[in-house]
Amino acid sequence: MKISDQIIMCLQNLFRRKVRTALTVFGVIIGTCAIVVMVSLGVGMQASQDAMLAEMGDLTMIEINNYSGRDENGEKLILNDEVLHKIQQMNHVDVVTPFYQPQNAWGAFALYGGNSKRYKAELYNIYGVYPEALEKMGFKLEKGEYFSNTQGDTIEILVGGYFPYDFEDTRKKRNNTVRYWETKADGSMPDPFIDIMNEKKLVLQIKESGKENGKTIDLKAKGVGVLQYDGKSYETRYGIFISTTQLKKLEEKYNKLNNIKVSEDDKNNYTTAKVKVTDMKYVEEVQAAIDEMGFDTYSMEDIRKPMQEQARKQQMTLGGLGAISLFVAALSITNTMVMSIYERTREIGVMKVLGCMVGNIRSVFLMEAGTIGFMGGVIGIALSYIISYIINIVGNGLTGGFSGGMMGGGFYMGMGGSGMAQTSIIPWWLALGALVFSTLIGLISGYSPANRAVKISALEAIKNE
Amino acid sequence: METVIKVENLRKVYKLGTEKVIALGSINLEIHKGEICCILGTSGSGKSTLLNMLAGLEKPTKGHIYIGKHDIPKLNEKQLAKLRQKQIGFVFQSYNLLPALTAQENVGLPLMFRGVSKAKRNKAAKEMLVHVGLGKRLKHKPTQMSGGQQQRVGIARAFVCKPQIVFADEPTGNLDTKTTKEVMDIMVGICRQYQMTLVLVTHDPSIAQYADRIVTLIDGAIVSDVENQSIAEPVYQDTGKTKSGEDSPAPENSNMEDGQLSDVSSQPETIQQEAGSQNPDKDFNGGIEG
Repeated sequence: MKISDQIIMCLQNLFRRKVRTALTVFGVIIGTCAIVVMVSLGVGMQASQDAMLAEMGDLTMIEINNYSGRDENGEKLILNDEVLHKIQQMNHVDVVTPFYQPQNAWGAFALYGGNSKRYKAELYNIYGVYPEALEKMGFKLEKGEYFSNTQGDTIEILVGGYFPYDFEDTRKKRNNTVRYWETKADGSMPDPFIDIMNEKKLVLQIKESGKENGKTIDLKAKGVGVLQYDGKSYETRYGIFISTTQLKKLEEKYNKLNNIKVSEDDKNNYTTAKVKVTDMKYVEEVQAAIDEMGFDTYSMEDIRKPMQEQARKQQMTLGGLGAISLFVAALSITNTMVMSIYERTREIGVMKVLGCMVGNIRSVFLMEAGTIGFMGGVIGIALSYIISYIINIVGNGLTGGFSGGMMGGGFYMGMGGSGMAQTSIIPWWLALGALVFSTLIGLISGYSPANRAVKISALEAIKNE
Repeated sequence: METVIKVENLRKVYKLGTEKVIALGSINLEIHKGEICCILGTSGSGKSTLLNMLAGLEKPTKGHIYIGKHDIPKLNEKQLAKLRQKQIGFVFQSYNLLPALTAQENVGLPLMFRGVSKAKRNKAAKEMLVHVGLGKRLKHKPTQMSGGQQQRVGIARAFVCKPQIVFADEPTGNLDTKTTKEVMDIMVGICRQYQMTLVLVTHDPSIAQYADRIVTLIDGAIVSDVENQSIAEPVYQDTGKTKSGEDSPAPENSNMEDGQLSDVSSQPETIQQEAGSQNPDKDFNGGIEG
């Protein structure tokens, strides 16, 4: 029997019992819809969580902290270039850089500009980084460039978007800063005292600590670029970036000035470093590997994981509810097929006597059951998209009410409308999966009835009543 | 004379509780090519049991049935299906047409099971239906036809593959006398024309008069096996205007020893050959044409 003939026969049989077929398909539609919509809510929830977390920080970033940490054997842990190089070699690690802040020399540096050092900015948020890493870390430049020569005597500095407003006019007692919020008439930002990139007389000064008019060392500095404030990180707003090489030189000079002795280990130890992972899904793995080395780590994953766990549980619960209705639909497919076989007993017998292969009989019945599942799946998915669309419209009207409420939070609502993701999302894999699943359910439900049809005795079937 | 069906020591015992009922004792029978053989017997004589076993619908308790080289009881479902597709036609008492299909589709069914394309089987079915005088009822459903017409569709279906053997189980059991004659005439006519073997099961001695040979069964045993001396000549009476005269079997066709018809497809074939990679369309020559 040709496949085309089997298909035609299967469709004819289904069409012959329109109402029953339609009702059974309807059951599958409801089941498919239930699963797809439920899971889509879970997916939507997860997406809005991720969006929310992304608002809070880079999801692919891992922060390593090492403040005189010790490993399990009590040995002192050193987070030095060597260790960072090792981390860089790990799988899925995009880039690694220290975010080094010299602990001893905090508040010891200041930047001067203008004639006779008229304008001054304290360098509190100074970070030593690998010069080539910044771009890969995702820091964007507003103007200028990253670093050009970090080996020379001129200190190259890269500053956060709002840092230039930190300059004070030392000749005034009052009103000695430019306030960035006092915009110009055309709405653009006001000009700071110092155009850091073109300032010729930029000087980085190291002060002796604890003395009002102690010794100082002046070093020539050069502004190479200004970072774009990314809206969430402090570093891109007020940070000052210097290459680790130059920052270490500055620290050395400071230590000399203050007669501070520092051990070789401490000299090389970075208190903080950041690791950017190629994809969010590898964060956990990389973080675990670094934890293994004994360092304290922190990433958004720490927040994301429990949230995700919770979301997954909810998703499972919702999907389970949907699955119940699809299970009921499966029973009704089996019922329909059994009924249909009872009705067609004689027909099946005649077919056998006329030389129909039992395999063909089985496949026709399986096809019928599969078709019911498939049709239900297709219509169910189409309907799910419509329902999902409606949920999103209604859901967005009641923001926070449903999605916010479900993820337990004023937290979420506090984030405001910016994280306004869809409540229900149907990704392609969900649609495809549902279709395959519903068809499979049809085939499984039809399996035992089809075998029953095959076993019908031709003799019994064609007996004259 | 070529033997088409050979039955050896066939025995069938039913168990009803603890009691054994012997449906067929020990049957030995040979049916030849082109023979119209009637198995005559009353209800309970075992005639239907015999037919069912010949057609492989029922397994015997003991004994052999050979059709061609094949021992029917030893074939599995698949081999039986193949055998039925190629070599066996079936006419039922209650017609057993599929109610959802038209006359043409019903007749085309066995061809469909063989994997013949729709165009070819429609053509063959049409020719066959014209042959039985239903050329104008191709698109009718069984419910739109009389019993006689339905049985003619049934006959067309049984013969459409040009099988070697046709089994007919009380083919006229549900028909009135006049229609019975029509139907028998057509069936016997086609068999004679194409030298097919017809095994006819009936309780009606008048039907038996169409046969060349009458095997009488009583209580599961053959009590007589005789050549029919007064063969009823098949004469078409009302088979529709579409029938052409040449379709009417000529009287000399009743002489089954003439070798004037040579229909290749009615030659015995082995299942092994059929089950092979042959194109199902290839050995099917598109219906019955002289």
